Amino acid sequence: MAIISRRGKERLIKYLCFLVTTVAVIPLLWIIGEVVVNGVSAINLEFLTSLPAPFGESGGGIGNAILGTMIINAMACLFGIPVGILTGMHLSEYDLTSRLGAVVRTVVESLSGVPSIIFGIFAYSLIVLTVRHYTAIAAAFALGLMMIPLVAKATEESMRVVSNDIREAATALGIPKWIRTTKIVLSIAKGGVLTGCLLAFARISGETAPLLFTSLFSFFWPTGIDQPMASLQVLIYNYAMSGFENWILKAWGASLLLVIIVVSINVLVRSLTKPKYKGGA
Amino acid sequence: MANNIAKLDIQNLNALFYEKHALKNVNVKIPDKMVTAVIGPSGCGKSTFVRCINRMHELVPGAKVSGKVLLDGVDVYGGMDVMDVRRKIGMVFQKPNPFPNMSVADNVVAGLKLVGTHSKKELAELAEERLKSVGLWDEVKDELKKSGASLSGGQQQRLCIARALAMNPEVILMDEPTSALDPASTAKLEELVKKLKNEISVVIITHNVSQAARISDCTAFFYLGELVEFDETRNIFEHPKNPLTERYITGRFG
Amino acid sequence: MDMLFMKTKSSRFFNIQDSLFKYVLIGFSILVVLLFVILFYMLIDRSIPSFSANGLNSITGTVWDSEKGLFGALPAIAGTLISALIATLIAIPISLGMAIYFTEYAPQRIRSVLSLFIDMLAAIPSVIYGIWGLWVISPIVKTYIQQPIVGSIGFIPIFAGPAYGLSIFLASMILAIMVVPIISSLSIELLSSTPSSLREGLISLGATKWETVRHVGIPFARLGIFAAIILGLGRALGETMVVTMAIGNSYIWPFQSPSMFAPATTITSKIASELYEATSTLHISSLMELALILLVVTILINSVSRVIINRRSKREYF
Repeated sequence: MAIISRRGKERLIKYLCFLVTTVAVIPLLWIIGEVVVNGVSAINLEFLTSLPAPFGESGGGIGNAILGTMIINAMACLFGIPVGILTGMHLSEYDLTSRLGAVVRTVVESLSGVPSIIFGIFAYSLIVLTVRHYTAIAAAFALGLMMIPLVAKATEESMRVVSNDIREAATALGIPKWIRTTKIVLSIAKGGVLTGCLLAFARISGETAPLLFTSLFSFFWPTGIDQPMASLQVLIYNYAMSGFENWILKAWGASLLLVIIVVSINVLVRSLTKPKYKGGA
Repeated sequence: MANNIAKLDIQNLNALFYEKHALKNVNVKIPDKMVTAVIGPSGCGKSTFVRCINRMHELVPGAKVSGKVLLDGVDVYGGMDVMDVRRKIGMVFQKPNPFPNMSVADNVVAGLKLVGTHSKKELAELAEERLKSVGLWDEVKDELKKSGASLSGGQQQRLCIARALAMNPEVILMDEPTSALDPASTAKLEELVKKLKNEISVVIITHNVSQAARISDCTAFFYLGELVEFDETRNIFEHPKNPLTERYITGRFG
Repeated sequence: MDMLFMKTKSSRFFNIQDSLFKYVLIGFSILVVLLFVILFYMLIDRSIPSFSANGLNSITGTVWDSEKGLFGALPAIAGTLISALIATLIAIPISLGMAIYFTEYAPQRIRSVLSLFIDMLAAIPSVIYGIWGLWVISPIVKTYIQQPIVGSIGFIPIFAGPAYGLSIFLASMILAIMVVPIISSLSIELLSSTPSSLREGLISLGATKWETVRHVGIPFARLGIFAAIILGLGRALGETMVVTMAIGNSYIWPFQSPSMFAPATTITSKIASELYEATSTLHISSLMELALILLVVTILINSVSRVIINRRSKREYF
């Protein structure tokens, strides 16, 4: 029958699986290593607070990109989080089997699979082409749209698991439905909603494609939300593709900042969430 | 019983759950300031009956109700707003369901605090008063800020009763309130129920026939959606008029 | 006590509030649906100039010259499909191996670390994968992988030289890394939820862990894993930054040189690199048409995945 014994096969498979796991993990450690090693040397106070130096010169910083990212992300949250929560609330509390609910749910699911560049094109077409110039608002719109399905799903799922006994108790006290939904059910679910928002925020912090033709880029401090604006992501892209040493170094520095933000949020979310039991044996 | 005013006058109550005729033409007068027990085998409609009183049954998809439930002469199905119905007719459930995101004190006054403009002082006083009336005050007075869900099962149930009582209802409905509790807590709760009837009318569903005998003044026996017999508890247990009642009470079925 | 009830607002007041609230919620939900519809409408609308001017040639043509008004996108479409396919194919064994290791062999301490790593892999922004691919991996791949292969078996067309670092090969490699966490995290969940009665039944008969996985775990999770793979494929199809930075952005592949080591283009990289400079309506419209194709394909793929998952959750058995 088999040349290798069953036990031998078991051991072989075990090592193979371990091997591919290592193969998968190595790039992660490598990337983080490169980002840290290359980026750390770029980061100093000037880097964090000043504008880019004139082309070809050394020095300068990415202060405008940091500020720009904060502004754009904040605007995106202003749009995406409320819409996402309200939609999720609707799906969980006000809609069990209606057709509108099915449609909304399908749309939300579909939205979560749409490539990020399409959101950028959407914003480009809707806003940039209409006002005839690049604007940070369009970027915020695109990113906000991306947040909606993530926040809505997290909200719906967190509210859905709230025991129906609670709703019954509230109804039996004569508490109006909207108060029950917001002050009781949502309040109980707020942990899940919060982690959903945090993860959505981490997600959009890393998205570059939607910004490429909306907020574009700028070498100056943000002048207005209706103007192009620098961002960490687009900076990394532009600078990395440029081929200039100084710029590539800055790109690594910006990458380090971005990785720190994204990793911190993920670690934070993990610590807030009850660990799911995983594993078979 | 004939001397007591009827708090709830239920006339021709029919309840449907999709095609199932859960309640068939129920007519009964629930007396004021007394404990009325509702007994019967599983699936006999006692839960449906009670939920029709505070209009909770209609929330179930596929539910239909017809007939009248008069609270002091006013039909709860049409004579007043449904939220007012539920404020006047409180309910306590089988499984204690305090709001886990609120403290003990906030749980008690939740029905008021969330919908009104009361001052902190008023709410605190009300919470203390109600916790005292259910016998919880001494046990929780140092832990008022803790989550409502952190109490033991028996305490949670008494908290839920306090919460319902804070609304100053005229009737309180209890759906098998002790079935999830241990014997000690059950005993405490039964004592509480007997005390409550001095203030309001109590309708209590129980699958435990001896509990009905212990604490109630009147008993309603349901079977397959019909009200088979309703009388003073003493009469039901000592000389029931209907042979079905007698068989249920002596444990021959259900 | 009644004074307290005077401070409670009336029921009619609350009924109005309840209705208002409900309509606000419905309104926002409809807004989301509307935005989705507008997205489609707008893409279709803006693609019309290109479609009416070029017809099917935009999809089948192989020459893209904005000055001459030629917008054949076949190499880009091929680039999208092939790079995504290769990436997913490479990712499958790695993800499954990782999932099996996680659920069957890894001790608890390693599991928590591994779980963190998988999340990190998914969380790293694509532009950082891009810069890493561009400046770290590309030279290494060129020197240590591509050149030796070109040197030895370069007579086979797909391995022909010259060895460009930035190539469809490189892009596929990095895409594979990005697809792995998607497939593996879902597979881990699926394998973990194998009914323990089935697993324990086999183990009590003396089966090894691998045999258990092979005969119980994987068959049970089969559909779900397939759905996860489809999801990963969808992700690879839509990825922009990594391909833009690692693929070379050129029409050399596949028609001028079918080699894996030649620079290529994908739909996403084309849009990303050209939309900013596109001025003519036809140019923009061609790019929009590409975007529309991408959107339709990714939505179809994700729908397939979703249908499979839904159908699976309705069943309890294989």
